[in-house]
Amino acid sequence: MARRSRLAPSRSFATSLATSFAASLLASVFFLPLDVRSAPAADGPLVVARAMDVNSLDPARAYCDTCQIYLSAVYATLLTLAPDNQTIIPMLAKSWEVSPDVTTFTFHLDPAATFSDGSPVTAQDVKWSLERLKNIKGGPAYLMDSLKSIEAKDPATVVITTETPNSEFLGILAAPYTGIINAKLAAANGANANADAATSDASDTWFLAHSAGAGPFVLESYTADDALRLARNDKYWGKKPGVPGVVLKQTADAVTQAQMLQSGTADIAMQIDPDTAKTVSVPDATFKSVPSFNFVYAAISPAAKGAPVPLTSDVRQAIALALDYKGAIDFTVGGEGKEQSSAIPNGYPGTKDLPAPVTNVEKAKELLAKAGHPDGFAMELEFPAMNVYGVDLSLLAQKVQQDLGKVGIKLSLKPVPFTVWISDINDPGTPFALGFFAPDYFGSAQYVQYFGMLPDMPWANRAGVGKQPGLDGKEQLALYHKALAATDVPAQEAAYRDLALKMIDDKIILPLVSPNLILAYRNDVSGVRYSACCNLPLGEIEKK
Amino acid sequence: MLKVVVRRLLVMPFLLLGIVTATFLLAQFTKGNPLVSIIGARNLDNAEVVAAAKARWGLDRSVPERYAIYVWNLAHGDLGTSFRTKQPVLKDLAQRLPATLELVICAMIVGAAGGIALAIVSAEFQNSLADHAARLLALMGSCLPVFWLGLIALFLFSVQTRLLPGPGRLDIRAVAPPTVTGFMLVDTLLAGNVAGFIDAARHLVLPSLVLGWSVMGIVARMVRASMLDVLGQDYITMARAKGAARLRVLVHHALANALIPALTILGFTFAYLITGSVLVETIFSWPGIGSYAVEAARSLDYPAITGVTILGGLGFLIANLITDVAYAAADPRMREAT
Repeated sequence: MARRSRLAPSRSFATSLATSFAASLLASVFFLPLDVRSAPAADGPLVVARAMDVNSLDPARAYCDTCQIYLSAVYATLLTLAPDNQTIIPMLAKSWEVSPDVTTFTFHLDPAATFSDGSPVTAQDVKWSLERLKNIKGGPAYLMDSLKSIEAKDPATVVITTETPNSEFLGILAAPYTGIINAKLAAANGANANADAATSDASDTWFLAHSAGAGPFVLESYTADDALRLARNDKYWGKKPGVPGVVLKQTADAVTQAQMLQSGTADIAMQIDPDTAKTVSVPDATFKSVPSFNFVYAAISPAAKGAPVPLTSDVRQAIALALDYKGAIDFTVGGEGKEQSSAIPNGYPGTKDLPAPVTNVEKAKELLAKAGHPDGFAMELEFPAMNVYGVDLSLLAQKVQQDLGKVGIKLSLKPVPFTVWISDINDPGTPFALGFFAPDYFGSAQYVQYFGMLPDMPWANRAGVGKQPGLDGKEQLALYHKALAATDVPAQEAAYRDLALKMIDDKIILPLVSPNLILAYRNDVSGVRYSACCNLPLGEIEKK
Repeated sequence: MLKVVVRRLLVMPFLLLGIVTATFLLAQFTKGNPLVSIIGARNLDNAEVVAAAKARWGLDRSVPERYAIYVWNLAHGDLGTSFRTKQPVLKDLAQRLPATLELVICAMIVGAAGGIALAIVSAEFQNSLADHAARLLALMGSCLPVFWLGLIALFLFSVQTRLLPGPGRLDIRAVAPPTVTGFMLVDTLLAGNVAGFIDAARHLVLPSLVLGWSVMGIVARMVRASMLDVLGQDYITMARAKGAARLRVLVHHALANALIPALTILGFTFAYLITGSVLVETIFSWPGIGSYAVEAARSLDYPAITGVTILGGLGFLIANLITDVAYAAADPRMREAT
């Protein structure tokens, strides 16, 4: 056996040297700081971190906040909402006329408009898409409730007739759910607009992997709970989008969203709450607090089973007066929000100069005594155990508990999952609850339809319209019809204002907080804004 | 031994049917309205929309009818369609399982290797500073909430020092390799994408360490206890008396026997983490089974809830079987007993 030289390195020494070298090499590649390895390419896709709530990618079935962003990026609508969040402007329809009785709407399509496969957008596509939206009976089908007929007069002209006057129909047609679909392409993949589409249309799965719109982007891929990827529509007929693609990345946690923005992993973070925004320091990012149309409310249902005392007008007034509205905003969103007078959000038709909610504990006590409850009473407050629009509902419930305690109303808090809450408020009914709401389009009718004390409307049924003193529903119904039949903006505003005042008087829905929205984005990104119809218009965003 | 395995495999379908029945009934009778995730909360008052959704998703049928249909479909390999994702549940699970397995396997390696190393140090240097330090480390792994650890880890290593990437399985802006196995490490290699492989491996580090630390705590404490027990045995004294090297005594004689009780806990921890790594998956935006399960529960997505439970149940049954086989392989007395 050859004897190893004393000067030659031993085998174990050589092995450990080689191992150490390999380990160092691996570690240096592995742990090289991110900046050096791969700085985000300027021509890469825009990354948006948000907690996604997608229930479908089919315009007729999708119904969620993320859906608004997706649909407005991929499916063009006849009309859209201007950046002022109030003016309706052309999109697929370059012009339109409305009949004097506000029941017939004639749209002239832009001849330049094409779908992402290059085929022209025709009146037939419009007719098919809107009829399908109605007949699928999906989440947004209610937008077409008043639809009577659609006629494709020629390839570029479409005439829509509504059953009753509808002064908000133009606003509805700016909602992303009314996006126009390439009928031929979708029909070839199982979609139909027939009267029985609710059961016969089998295209839901197809829409999860394909898109058929005329918007600035096309769907590249979607993996639920992971990412929604969009690519620029190279055949887009309008102004080309400023980014080659967009990735909506599922990021459930607000702190993680902020961290992704800090590290440059994300360009935009969509659900950073005011508290988190105050704790992070990102010199190369902008945190802008803008008013939103979302709000959180307390609801009193006199007709609900289990109300401890009759929730009469005096009792409801007392509850409303006992609440500290400004305090609730400070307590839940650190002052980053505003008071809201009625269930119609600030900035929507009919809300100008409405009286602000008032806190008056002494008056509240007087009213309770007048109602026969000088020592107050005990009641349950049921609410979804979640954080919405940056408002922790548990925290808000504690604030309400504290406020009502001052007038002797002892609240016990009942946090429940959202699916339970929504079931409970309908059956058996919840005397006192917290809820939340975000708009589907720019128009006040949606609020009247949901919160108004009109026959057969959701909260009216829960409150017992027609059965409770002072809640007959007739007056508000007349005002609602008047608003929908209004032929000019002032008349419409006036009718909604009267409705809003009535809704304030009812004290069924007590808006507590309208939280601001935190727009958080890196400084090399521009064009980020909040839209009442479309949430985040991706087509307007640019990246340096 | 083979008889035991065969017997267990034969009983498995019946156990699964029991799991399916219990889960199905629990889900059906849970308070809440699953239609929210299908048509949205605002439409629950619209009778026409509600009726159409119920008919489309079979919710207009009675519970026994739904159960019979479900079991029949299950027998044909159909776990139903998710209310939320609108995709077959089997496809959803197949899409997410590799992501979870990749994470859990790495976490188990971290947890098992780290835990055993800590246990050896702790047992060999009992009551010394090293022992206290190892026990503290193990205790922290068991006690510290993983979501907090995850956020801190991301802040330190991704935001502040930028040594490691943030959430996700791959750079968000990168193009994912074609899905072959669903395991990102494997698929990037199959695609010949070395940079992608390194990126995927780097994305695995933080979630694996965070998840693995909690496993490490359990393993370290259990193995330490049995190591202390084994190190007091006569045969260890004999080995030492015969002049066996310290490391050999520890690893070859003591650890081999001390590991047997840890096998059970490792098996069950693995099965548990397949559906139970939800917090880590949430913080690290990891599209796995845990986050799918939570979203399914949140939206009362019956088919998905039942599908995840079947998968979890199957995981436990298989883990149980493997543990028993491993037990028998490690301990001759068990082989004889079975």
